[in-house]
Amino acid sequence: MSTSDILLSVRDLEVKFSTREGPITAINKVSFDIPRGKTVGLVGESGSGKSVTSLAAMRLIPNPPGEVTGGQILFNGLDLLKVSEAEMRKIRGNKISMIFQEPMTSLNPVFTVGYQIAETLMLHQGLNKAQARAKTLDLLNQVGIPDPSKKIDSYPHEMSGGQKQRVMIAMAIGCEPDLLIADEPTTALDVTIQKQVLDLLASLQEQYKMSMLFITHDLGVIADIADEVVVMYRGDIVEKNKTEEIFMRPTHPYTKGLLACRPPLTEHPRRLVTVSDYMTADGKEKVAPKIEFINPVRPVSETENPVILQVKNLEKSFPIRGGIFGGVVDNFKAVDDVSFGVRRGRTLGLVGESGCGKTTLGRTILRLTEPTGGEILWKGKDITHIGSEEMRKLRRQMQIIFQDPYASLNPRMTIGAAITEPMEIHKIHGNKAERLERAQALLEKVGLPAKALSRYPHEFSGGQRQRICIARALAVEPEFIVCDESVSALDVSIQAQILNLLLDLQEEMNLTYIFISHDLAVVKFIADDVLVMNKGKVVEMSNAQEIYKNPRDEYTKRLLSAIPKGVPKTLLDRGITIPNLNA
Amino acid sequence: MFAYIVRRLLYAIPILLGTTFLLFLLFNVVPGDPALQLAGKHATPEVIATIRAELGLDKPWYGQYFDMLKQLVTLDFGRSYWTKQKITDMIWNGAGASFSLGFPAFVISTVISLILGLVIALYRGSRLDKTVVAFSVAAQSVSLLVYILAAQYVLAYKWSLFPISGYDPDMIQRWQYLVLPIMIFVFLSVAPELRFYRTIFLDELYQDYVRTARSKGLGMKAVLLRHVLKNAMIPILTNLVITIPFLILGSVLIESFFQIPGLGDLIVKAIANNDRPVLVSMTVLGTFAYIIFNLLSDILYALVDPRVQLK
Amino acid sequence: MKFLAKKVNGNSLWSDALRRLLNDPFATWSFVVIVIYVVTALLVRFNLVAGNWQETIGGSREAPDLAKSMLHWLGLDIFGRSVLLKTIQGAYTAMYVGLVSSLIAIPIGVVMGALAGYFGGWVDDLITWVSTTLSNIPEFLLLIAIALALGKGTTTVCIALGVTSWVGIARLIRAEFMKHKNREYVLAAQALGGGHMRRMIKHIFPNVLHIVIIGFSLRFVTGIKSEVILTYLGLGAEIGERSSWGIMIADATGELIQGVWWGLASATAAMFPIVLAFSLFSDALRDAIDPKLRT
Repeated sequence: MSTSDILLSVRDLEVKFSTREGPITAINKVSFDIPRGKTVGLVGESGSGKSVTSLAAMRLIPNPPGEVTGGQILFNGLDLLKVSEAEMRKIRGNKISMIFQEPMTSLNPVFTVGYQIAETLMLHQGLNKAQARAKTLDLLNQVGIPDPSKKIDSYPHEMSGGQKQRVMIAMAIGCEPDLLIADEPTTALDVTIQKQVLDLLASLQEQYKMSMLFITHDLGVIADIADEVVVMYRGDIVEKNKTEEIFMRPTHPYTKGLLACRPPLTEHPRRLVTVSDYMTADGKEKVAPKIEFINPVRPVSETENPVILQVKNLEKSFPIRGGIFGGVVDNFKAVDDVSFGVRRGRTLGLVGESGCGKTTLGRTILRLTEPTGGEILWKGKDITHIGSEEMRKLRRQMQIIFQDPYASLNPRMTIGAAITEPMEIHKIHGNKAERLERAQALLEKVGLPAKALSRYPHEFSGGQRQRICIARALAVEPEFIVCDESVSALDVSIQAQILNLLLDLQEEMNLTYIFISHDLAVVKFIADDVLVMNKGKVVEMSNAQEIYKNPRDEYTKRLLSAIPKGVPKTLLDRGITIPNLNA
Repeated sequence: MFAYIVRRLLYAIPILLGTTFLLFLLFNVVPGDPALQLAGKHATPEVIATIRAELGLDKPWYGQYFDMLKQLVTLDFGRSYWTKQKITDMIWNGAGASFSLGFPAFVISTVISLILGLVIALYRGSRLDKTVVAFSVAAQSVSLLVYILAAQYVLAYKWSLFPISGYDPDMIQRWQYLVLPIMIFVFLSVAPELRFYRTIFLDELYQDYVRTARSKGLGMKAVLLRHVLKNAMIPILTNLVITIPFLILGSVLIESFFQIPGLGDLIVKAIANNDRPVLVSMTVLGTFAYIIFNLLSDILYALVDPRVQLK
Repeated sequence: MKFLAKKVNGNSLWSDALRRLLNDPFATWSFVVIVIYVVTALLVRFNLVAGNWQETIGGSREAPDLAKSMLHWLGLDIFGRSVLLKTIQGAYTAMYVGLVSSLIAIPIGVVMGALAGYFGGWVDDLITWVSTTLSNIPEFLLLIAIALALGKGTTTVCIALGVTSWVGIARLIRAEFMKHKNREYVLAAQALGGGHMRRMIKHIFPNVLHIVIIGFSLRFVTGIKSEVILTYLGLGAEIGERSSWGIMIADATGELIQGVWWGLASATAAMFPIVLAFSLFSDALRDAIDPKLRT
């Protein structure tokens, strides 16, 4: 490949951050190229350094903590790390543009959408106000914003997440840049919106003949959008190759692990393989166990799996206030007439996009928030209105694990205190020493060492904290656990570990789960039966395999078609549905 | 919006009732019989009784409270125990002086604080930033009484740059007496305001939209003056509006020291002379102003921040 | 002080904060200054030092004279008493006012704020009405009103300050409790069977303690500064058993014109370090405890 085909060349880039604990190397002599007109996918989990790489290319690394300590970034022959700030400003937004992950906060809330787009145009292309406005309308059209002449004067908070991201894209392509850097642009969006945005980016790229650097943690997303893939792990590039090659012939153990740990859509492994099956902690290759594929349908028997939780016409509404006296003018129904049953020892998956009410439903069932209508029956008994003392006793049997491992543990309590607290509350398991012993046993069960007892939450990673939350929930010996997006905030490889753990625990202790998630692939893997929710209502209910093979409701169909297939289209066309890990 | 205003005004009623009742309690616990005070040392019991009846002090407590409310609603505060003037007149006269002192000081100190705040936010972490912050922390560690005394002594007395004290009601002549007090007022206000604005600007600088703006190719100056400033103006403006009532009340100490016959000075004299009606009126007036300006501040907030829709 | 920092064991957020404070020279020296003043105040309280400040030791208004005994270094006041001793006495008054006014304001503010923020509903409405009513009266005027009602004196000043300044801390605590009430770790405590008291006291409160501490030191400083002004206005301490910086500065207003500056200078010079130390310390504390800096 001749050098004129390469638009951006990163050579031996090194970036360090100074922290309270000393300097850390975020990027360790990383090199890769972005060819003209092609898309490079930069894949990695948290801490891999992928975002830092993109910020380095724009010279936007925040300078008090961060610093580029070596290497070059060559753009059309120019070393971006050495040009003056004034020169760099001419390139940003003009020749190289960037879109970010969080559309909610990335736009300035006090300026109209039109103003922010026009600003770039006037800055780099010297257009006057009228010309910029005209071009802005055109751009809004191109990115698929309905009714642009009205929307041009609206404020960011008046738009949805997907629309805001489109606005960001319009801002970025306004000056027809040579390179568009997209840093996790769809991670914060619902899966149906994600598909729209990805399609939009692909078509714009073709139209403008741009190169794109697409950063993500999700190999499934990258499969169809990238020509080449660069895999990063802890500040190093572990593998880079053409997309198809990566999926068919991965060489590095980390890449294999990353490919393996996503729940596949067409097969059903008994347990998910994880990165740690392919690689030791310090990066050495291991021989991974062969993936055992099983028939996912588990038999149901009335004696083994009676219905233990029944929900009838459950409703949770929130009052909307207004008017002169602040009275209630309307009601927002977060959960609207929902009915279903859950059998012992089985998992009910609850699936839907953001705002569908699934989290509210999970919390209402546990009466963490009070239902406004309907009934909840636990083992045949109506618990909808029982008193707080009675409810408290019942709480031993029904537990919940939340989504955000960083917020679920009290930062000022030791792990030991956190796990023994429920035992204290319910006065079980003897005195303090005995409780600590049991806490230790629980930690071991979730795969954590005993000395964690005296540590604090901030000393642990996200995945470890989630394990602690599981141990804490198990402390009261529950029969039923609501997993409220319990793996959604975790890296893919960690997700796999936690999912495996939940399955192991279910087998060992005959636990019953309601598993709430927006991620359909994960739900398909772990659930026996699935409920699809939209706008507070249940739109479809079936067993997990049926719903994916034969969805009946329109919304379900749309949801399913939006899931990334996980493998490049070229492979799908050849009948290959999962990555080849046994090469 | 209209519903919001009406709701806020209605909500102000229990607040006002609460406030006036609290004041009523406080002032009626004050030892000392005002009737005795007014009557003088040699008054006979009949005279005292007459005065008491005149002032309405012979009524039961709820009667007196009702009287007080009536007065407030009709803006008739009665007469000062000390000067025997109509309090409404005294307030009107004093307001002019206080305003001449307070308003220029307010404008000047705000402008200085804003500009300085922007500059040190732009150069945050630099020596300039650290020096200015250190200076304002140190400046706030000295009692304002000391500043007044020292300024008066050194600048007015020793160096005779300004008149030591005094005032002239004439529109033009008054300013020579006001220059030094205004200077002190400005100096005292800048230190805390500066730190406040700096915090606001810095908070905004760490927001995501700043990163987006820079990625579009904007320089730090444009980012600060355009993007950050507009966001920062929201808390700054609303904060400024709330401080306006204080101007009207006058800086008590400054007026007292420089013999400027403003509302602040009025209060000081009233304390010294145990002049209850004046104190009550001033407190109630201050409370009114506070409530109204709080409401204005909230409305301003809704107008300036597009995210807020007052329902 | 970095050697001390290394000795701090433990991994809790508090140990972290302590380490950061010990590594910050401003914080440590401020703390040293605070300790010095506290010790001085205690010594005065138990009459171990400056107990005889009311003794006339020389002529009226003698200027500072470094040649004579230490008691003359800061000059003498109108009654021939040592300004140095008066200043030391004043340290006690200042610390007393700061401490007592904070001890009144903080508990009231925290309890009110916690109840309002946690329970919401009519509890919140009621408490907000009370605090809005109080805060609508310009603080200064309310102080005067209370002082007039209760009579003059140092204790009145403390009570007045305490009763008027709880509103600020209540507002902050209310906001924090509202925020934390819906955090997952509190919901988890509820799911595990914890009741309201447990959630409020054992879970939320330790996570807002840093605001309480910072509020305490700010009130302390305000207390010291307000004492000066209130005394000047005739509402505060009077010459009695103890002297105060407020009295010294108030006296100075008349004396300055006659060239007698040492009373004013001493009181100001004594007040400056402690107020500065508290301000710096609370700033450092805020930075050290800021949970945002910790993931």
